Amino acid sequence: MPMRKFAGLSLWVAAALLMLATPAWSAKIQVHPDRVEIGAFFQGTEVSLEGQMPLGCEAVVEVCGAEVNETLLRKGRRAGLWMTVGELEVQHAPNFYLVLSTTPRIPELNGQDTPWGFPALRSRLKIRGVLADQEKDHFSLEFLKLKESEGLYGNLPGALKVRNSPEGQAVFQGVFRLPAKVPPAHYQVRLSVVKDGHIVEQKSGTMEVRLAGFPALLTALAYEHGALYGIMAVAIAIATGFLMGFLFKGKAGH
Amino acid sequence: MWNLYLPVAGNSINILLLFGLGAGVGFLSGLFGVGGGFLMTPLLIMAGIPSTVAAASDSNQIVAASTSGTYAHYRMGNVDFKMGFLLLVGGVAGGTLGVQIIRVLRTLGNADFVIKITYVLMLGVVGFYMFLESLQNLWKKDVVEAKRAEPRKPSTYACLIQALPWQMKFDKSGVTFSALVPLFLGTLVGILAAIMGVGGGFIMVPVMVYMLRMPMHVVVGTSLFQILFTCINVTVMQAISNHTVDLVLALILLVGSTLGAQVGAKLSKRLKADQLKILLASIVLVVMGQILVSLILTPNLLLGYKGGH
Repeated sequence: MPMRKFAGLSLWVAAALLMLATPAWSAKIQVHPDRVEIGAFFQGTEVSLEGQMPLGCEAVVEVCGAEVNETLLRKGRRAGLWMTVGELEVQHAPNFYLVLSTTPRIPELNGQDTPWGFPALRSRLKIRGVLADQEKDHFSLEFLKLKESEGLYGNLPGALKVRNSPEGQAVFQGVFRLPAKVPPAHYQVRLSVVKDGHIVEQKSGTMEVRLAGFPALLTALAYEHGALYGIMAVAIAIATGFLMGFLFKGKAGH
Repeated sequence: MWNLYLPVAGNSINILLLFGLGAGVGFLSGLFGVGGGFLMTPLLIMAGIPSTVAAASDSNQIVAASTSGTYAHYRMGNVDFKMGFLLLVGGVAGGTLGVQIIRVLRTLGNADFVIKITYVLMLGVVGFYMFLESLQNLWKKDVVEAKRAEPRKPSTYACLIQALPWQMKFDKSGVTFSALVPLFLGTLVGILAAIMGVGGGFIMVPVMVYMLRMPMHVVVGTSLFQILFTCINVTVMQAISNHTVDLVLALILLVGSTLGAQVGAKLSKRLKADQLKILLASIVLVVMGQILVSLILTPNLLLGYKGGH
């Protein structure tokens, strides 16, 4: 009986030791700062990523906003002239998407669809509207180009630099830029650790971007009290117009 | 350091750039009596402002510039309030009608084609006619040829308007017309402006010069008076329905534009009418050329955001 008790206790101790040991080997991801405030002088900011993973693995980090539906205008040729020829609705498009990796190319999985990166993003997009089925692929690429040109989407292979830690872990670091036009929202920061084309581990964190101070006050007024805001805008404009008129009055030459 | 965050536009922009844009367009506004929306909105879009916010905030800015400009011209005795009021009533009616026309065209799927073609044709016709006419006047050549190019023959036009009821004298402009004429022309400009999504100053000015035969200096002041009310309406409507007025953006622009408008108004007094017309015609033609190029050249991206002009 005491032998069985001892064996049972040993198992518990072993399990506890294993649990203690596991976090040291498990992957981690941290974002600095994890809260970005958009104040009156905000002009975009740099955000750093830091994490760790087992040696010999590759890391992929996605920074992803909420999925939204967007209505865009499609350009085409009419009578030889380029102009808007119709509307396209793009569904399941995140309002912000970055993919960073420790490797010179964004890692891909073996034997299954890779869930990150621009190809995966494109395959998730649903485009409806004035376009033929065979054009959908082309316009999903155009959509990505449009977002990339605004700094809202980014494909950054090799942006995460790896070094070995004294604890026998691989530590990676990277920096990405949040453009000034980043929408205020909560963002998911997802780390996938890949080895030999398979996901070993996944971890995620969050980052919040929110309006603060004067921009927050003005946006609240614009959206919640539209009429008051409009009248105020007109009143300020008329007052400034008159003020300038008065200031120039003395110099009016006639 | 010189960047400011625009909360409604959701982007950051250089203050000096905005101030400069405001001053430049305000100067033209005070000089020619145009709101300058046809210049400012595309420039703001190029600077990274969403098109809907650019158009709405520009209207807010024009309120200040045209208040400043109207006030400056009023002091110089250049505002025909009676004529301005009739044109305004027509403009509001025309604007409402124009919005309905666009709605029908959108359901038919060729709204953009009509908008772009109307834009290019209007800018082209107005620009070329004004340019040629002013050039001939400046060179003191015979203006008969230019008159021949006018779509309506002056004699028929004169006979027609003299036969209309409710004739009234417009003292400031020194003309006598039936009240129906400015009402009708205001409606016509209102329709075109609504279709093109602009204030219509660049059409209204030639209409006053060539169809209402008003003196150029009174045209500028009266046009600004009319634009002021059109833009007050647009600003409040946009703020209520679409939440697209960015007050920070408008404020920086309007500080620049009100200053520019005062300088422009003073310079307009010093320049001859034909010099003013030829300058405005040149700007209208440059804008037309730019639109024409954008219609012909293959765009970088085949997708764009909704809204704007």
